[in-house]
Amino acid sequence: MIELKSVTKDYGHLRAVTDVSFTCPDGRITGLLGVNGAGKTTLLNIVTGCMPPTSGSIQIDGLDLKENGRDCRRHLGYLPERPPLYDEMTVRDYLTFVCRLREVEKAGISHHVDNIMDLCGLSEVRDRLLGHLSKGYRQRAGIAQALCGDPPVLILDEPTVGLDPRQVAEIRELIRTLGKDHTVLFSSHMLTEVQSLCQKIVILHHGKVIREETLSELEQEGRTSEIRLSVRAKPGELQSVLRDLPGFRKLQVLESTKDGYTEGLLTVSGDTDTAGEKLFRLLAARDLPLRLLAPKKETLEEVFLQVTGQEGESV
Amino acid sequence: MTAIWRREVQSYFTTATGYVYIGIFLLISSILFQLQILTPRSSDLLTFLGQMSYLWMLLSPVLTMRLMAEEKQKQTDRLLLSSPVSLTGIVLGKYFAAVTVMLLTVLLTFVYVGIVGVYGSVYPGEILTGYLGFILQGMAFAAIDLFMSSMASGQVTAVLYAFGANFVLWMLDMLSMSVPSAVVRVLDFISLYTRNEPFLMGQLSFASIIFDLAVTVLALALTVYGMDRARRRGLK
Repeated sequence: MIELKSVTKDYGHLRAVTDVSFTCPDGRITGLLGVNGAGKTTLLNIVTGCMPPTSGSIQIDGLDLKENGRDCRRHLGYLPERPPLYDEMTVRDYLTFVCRLREVEKAGISHHVDNIMDLCGLSEVRDRLLGHLSKGYRQRAGIAQALCGDPPVLILDEPTVGLDPRQVAEIRELIRTLGKDHTVLFSSHMLTEVQSLCQKIVILHHGKVIREETLSELEQEGRTSEIRLSVRAKPGELQSVLRDLPGFRKLQVLESTKDGYTEGLLTVSGDTDTAGEKLFRLLAARDLPLRLLAPKKETLEEVFLQVTGQEGESV
Repeated sequence: MTAIWRREVQSYFTTATGYVYIGIFLLISSILFQLQILTPRSSDLLTFLGQMSYLWMLLSPVLTMRLMAEEKQKQTDRLLLSSPVSLTGIVLGKYFAAVTVMLLTVLLTFVYVGIVGVYGSVYPGEILTGYLGFILQGMAFAAIDLFMSSMASGQVTAVLYAFGANFVLWMLDMLSMSVPSAVVRVLDFISLYTRNEPFLMGQLSFASIIFDLAVTVLALALTVYGMDRARRRGLK
């Protein structure tokens, strides 16, 4: 588990990260989401011990990073934003070097490196120079080095940035596989990526954590939902019936059809599934035929823009 | 530390750096050997070693330029900083890699000793003392230039910084010819060249040994301190 407590980082007079606290639970993929310049890379450099925080503490698997730096670093593998590759080395030599650096037992290095290359799809380029590899393979080599020594915690900084769509899909699949038996913290500014990979999301904005929730919580929390509906009733009648619906906010009438139906957009508080069920029961009890009931789900992108927007306004 | 040392030594020979360094070193030292030993039919290897010691000023930056600066430039320093190796371990691994290539080159110059031994007379104690001073001086220059590399953001800057530092040290030596005697005493005390003179007379000077080692340790400590300060201020 990774636990950050009140982490702050100043670059001279500029405060890059402010009082950041969150946890990454064991065996789950946590996404650090934020726009460019939000402080993601700074935070990951701090968590990996590359850079000390100005204040605050970090614990990796129960060990304090400041007091047990070396032991903590044994527990984690890090893929920085730019993969740390030595172009003059072959893939195999490079991974062997990283294993030695991470104090892997000498006798097991060769087997370990073979396994990592198989897992990351690098076997066919094992004897190629890193400087001659394509961007996709370089990224794979970057992830492979993070796996050397089999650390339980993986920290990946924008692992898919700059890749083509096929490579993005392959790297995401690899991260998904790794997430089954590792604690993964990865940063991204791509909402779809976080949505498709993570069980937990931390949103960073202007160096501050503004949300730390599971994906479903984030999608549902404290938000109004919209339901499109078509009911055989006059607009006024429908308005008065819907006032009895728990969480009712407003009804925007879109159209009154000739066959007596009123089409509208209903806004309710809470999640759409619960509201939809209650709405169905309410209309059934009033004997009002229902022709359309279509909950409109908010995308994570909308949620993200909303929360970062709110934060921006409050700042 | 050994992993870093091993990688750096390999890197010298998988890139052109090691070959360029050894090649230029042997080329210049061969010219000096021709001029100093073969042409005048002399067996004065200590004077020859004294002249060769100026090669450290010229060639040490070649050996150290990429060690720290390239890591920053290519952002591979993240790999080292996030590994279970201390900053001291990183610096020592890199430093000893440079010293290894340096010693390998010095070893090759024993050919000159062999040639003089065949055609003239060589006094082993004297030669070993001369080489000890020569190596210690080289190690001090390597440490100073490694520190310069750690302060630079790229290889070109690292070379310029290192040449600048080496040139200033040489100028201090030159300066002692035209300053008051009180200042001369201070300059001689801190001059790596003056400190090497007892070795070139076949004297085993412990003061010079300690001075060379102290300069080396100080430069390495400053490198570690500089790295730590740089990472506290934020990685580039």
